[in-house]
Amino acid sequence: MISLNRRKALALMGGTVAAAGLSTPALSQVRKITVGALRFTSHSASFIALQRDYFKEAGLDVELKFFQAATPMAVAIASGDVDYAVTAMSGGLVSLADKGAIKIIGGALSEEAGIDGQKYLVSDAAFQAGVTSPAMLDGKSYGITSAGSSFHYMGSKLAQKEGISMSFKPLQKVGAIIGALKSGQIDAWSIVPHIAKPLAGSGAVHIIGNVSDVLPDYQVTTVFTSAKNAADERGMTGDFLAGFSKGVSDYNSTMIDRAHGDDGVNEMVDLIHKYVYADRPREKAAKSIINGTMRLNEGAAMNTASLQDQLSWFQSEGLVGGDITLDTVVDSSYVKTLG
Amino acid sequence: MDIRLSGVSHRYDQTEVLRDISLEIPSGKIVCIVGPSGCGKSTLLRLIGGLEQPSAGEILQVGTPPTDCLNPLTYVFQDFALLPWRTVHGNISLVLEDHGIPSQDADDIIQNVLARTKLSDFAKALPKQLSGGMKQRVAIARALAVNPAVMLMDEPLSALDSQTRELLMDDLVNLWTRTPFTAVYVTHNLAEAVRLGHSIVVMSRRPGEIREIVHLDQPLEQRGLGNVEMEEKQKYLWQLMREEAQAADAELIHV
Amino acid sequence: MSDQVNTFTIRPVPFRGGGFAPSSRRWVGLVVFVVLIALAEMGTRQGWISALTLPKPSDVLKTFGELYSTGLLWKHLSVSLSRLIVGAALGASVGIAVGVMIGLFSYVRAGLVPLVAALFPIPKIALLPLFVIWFGIDEGSKYALIAFGTFTPTVVATYGAVDNVDRGLIRMGQSFNLSWWSIVRKIVLPGAMPGILSGLRISLAIAIILLVAAEMLGAEYGIGAYILEAGSLYDLERLFAGVTILSILGVTLSTCIGLIERRLLRWRV
Repeated sequence: MISLNRRKALALMGGTVAAAGLSTPALSQVRKITVGALRFTSHSASFIALQRDYFKEAGLDVELKFFQAATPMAVAIASGDVDYAVTAMSGGLVSLADKGAIKIIGGALSEEAGIDGQKYLVSDAAFQAGVTSPAMLDGKSYGITSAGSSFHYMGSKLAQKEGISMSFKPLQKVGAIIGALKSGQIDAWSIVPHIAKPLAGSGAVHIIGNVSDVLPDYQVTTVFTSAKNAADERGMTGDFLAGFSKGVSDYNSTMIDRAHGDDGVNEMVDLIHKYVYADRPREKAAKSIINGTMRLNEGAAMNTASLQDQLSWFQSEGLVGGDITLDTVVDSSYVKTLG
Repeated sequence: MDIRLSGVSHRYDQTEVLRDISLEIPSGKIVCIVGPSGCGKSTLLRLIGGLEQPSAGEILQVGTPPTDCLNPLTYVFQDFALLPWRTVHGNISLVLEDHGIPSQDADDIIQNVLARTKLSDFAKALPKQLSGGMKQRVAIARALAVNPAVMLMDEPLSALDSQTRELLMDDLVNLWTRTPFTAVYVTHNLAEAVRLGHSIVVMSRRPGEIREIVHLDQPLEQRGLGNVEMEEKQKYLWQLMREEAQAADAELIHV
Repeated sequence: MSDQVNTFTIRPVPFRGGGFAPSSRRWVGLVVFVVLIALAEMGTRQGWISALTLPKPSDVLKTFGELYSTGLLWKHLSVSLSRLIVGAALGASVGIAVGVMIGLFSYVRAGLVPLVAALFPIPKIALLPLFVIWFGIDEGSKYALIAFGTFTPTVVATYGAVDNVDRGLIRMGQSFNLSWWSIVRKIVLPGAMPGILSGLRISLAIAIILLVAAEMLGAEYGIGAYILEAGSLYDLERLFAGVTILSILGVTLSTCIGLIERRLLRWRV
């Protein structure tokens, strides 16, 4: 399999050299890898790193593979079809890590005080009935994709903080949750801002709180790979994180710190628009992309305190084995750890 | 109660099945109808019983059926038509249930007809446990239970083997001798016809017309096996039918 | 020459009638099960089946035991069974009623057969979001999905069964002047019963499949919800425990129908 990859890589390298003439510096070894992604703004770092050749500079020939949901992507990592991907640390991810299939090697998206993050939403019906703050959600129903998902975690943590109890309704898909929330079948939910804001704008739902108030420094998504890559392919993994981090860096400085002004933002929106909301016109997509901006972890640093909290929560809910330690799930040797 | 047919004709779409049948079925007699296959004798029986309406002509009931008669025109079918999910007793009670008869009276009727057909010991048996002959005796018992004015018997013995047929013919003769009933008996078997019929209607091939009506005067109980007079009659009937049967057979092949 | 042949080739006629006569070998099915499970257990213990591929059968059993001892088994099973019973009873009874009507009345047949044919191939799971809006996210939509899923096959089986009732028996009923209602009740319905019951076998299997689908949306408890949760957590032990429960449920239902058949259809040859 490796020889095949190498042969492919050589062929590809030949092609690149031929196309670019002799200006491309000769690369000693180009590895062909597959990176899994969802068409979400939070995956922008991978898009940027690919488009701006940061992966190539790190000696990696990256092919993006798109998924509809985080679950099949995690399975693809476990089966070796995908090398690296970004997703939330769900109960499923922990379970796969416990089976020795995957490892979290870095952080991607995190909540940060002062930056617009994920929102708690309520349905219009509940809002009209007087539920205008998270504390009033006692006895209400809360939409989640499935037990052990990030939605479940955010809802449960909210209930814990406010000292209330809610019933969690597994609805499998984000689309189904949105439908149920709009029609008042469920009362509350939490979601990233670029989905929350347009929904609230339509009047069908209302934003009643920020996730960062409940979970400051919440490590929302992580970079993960197969346990084999993490242990045996340290060079390649380091290269990937290096390329990825450059993408992160560009994203943060342009979209959050606005280091390159509006032009910079526009240019980056164009880049991201190739992957996210590609079916929508540029103007509409731009709004959503800008709305969805959240800080990505510089240098793919990860907040292990948050990850530990998430793991402990999974265990307290009986969703994963009680004997799993954070070391089983996380390989913290690659990036800086926070918290 | 008599039955009178006058000028009855019947057709299915383009096919003429029966042509100008006029016939008298007198009370207390068995009228056999014989004819080659496809001559419309079963259709004729369905017309007499009101399961079908003739295209032309009329079928009349002459006189009124006795007051205790629950179903004046009652069929006995070739395939017995017993409900397989009901016992012998249940199959007979089926035809009494719609008449609001008190259950004690109904039970008496059932006991009576079972005794007459020698089935008293099998009241609780299911049809699948019975031989073909027994099944037809149940069907006859069921027909007797409604005390019919006329029994319409459609090849009742044709599905049975020849020994059983002999036994059942004896049974029918005994039944009739004890309490004469009126019957129209359709068959293609000439031996049955000469054994059971007071008169025998011979029909031509399609479209069915009456060729001849043969009257037999010898009492039923005297027409045992090997009766010379009966043999003669049967031979005569066969001569009448032979050509028709041959033609009908050829016709079927050419269709 | 014939003499020679006769003197030299005296032998028994070779037997050629073997095979093609299935006979009851109950234990073979059990042996297949036991061997497969034993293989899985051995493989997972010795490591030539990875933990990602299959859970240890003994672990599945342990999970099952935990489920039982914590009382969660009953909690999951009771809600699932009530969904199954209400939904399937609703779908099957309406299905039988509509099927009998189609079998008896030409206008109903002309009007409904095309409709049923149009409804039959719709994957009922696809309609789940619609049902949630129509019947609510709680039990209503789950009952509706299972009922709808059992309805169409029951209708088709029932009117087929009514069509197949021996016309001779109906004619017999008419010849004895039985009332229309008597003929339907005493001849058509019992006569259609074998077909209806075998249709019910299929409908109930579909009901179990749809149970899992119904519990995709908004179910906290239930075997289907348990399986889906296990799937999203990659918890293969729970997944297999849940699937095993479904299989047992299926076998139990099938056995029940078998018993009912044996009781109701004793009259069959």
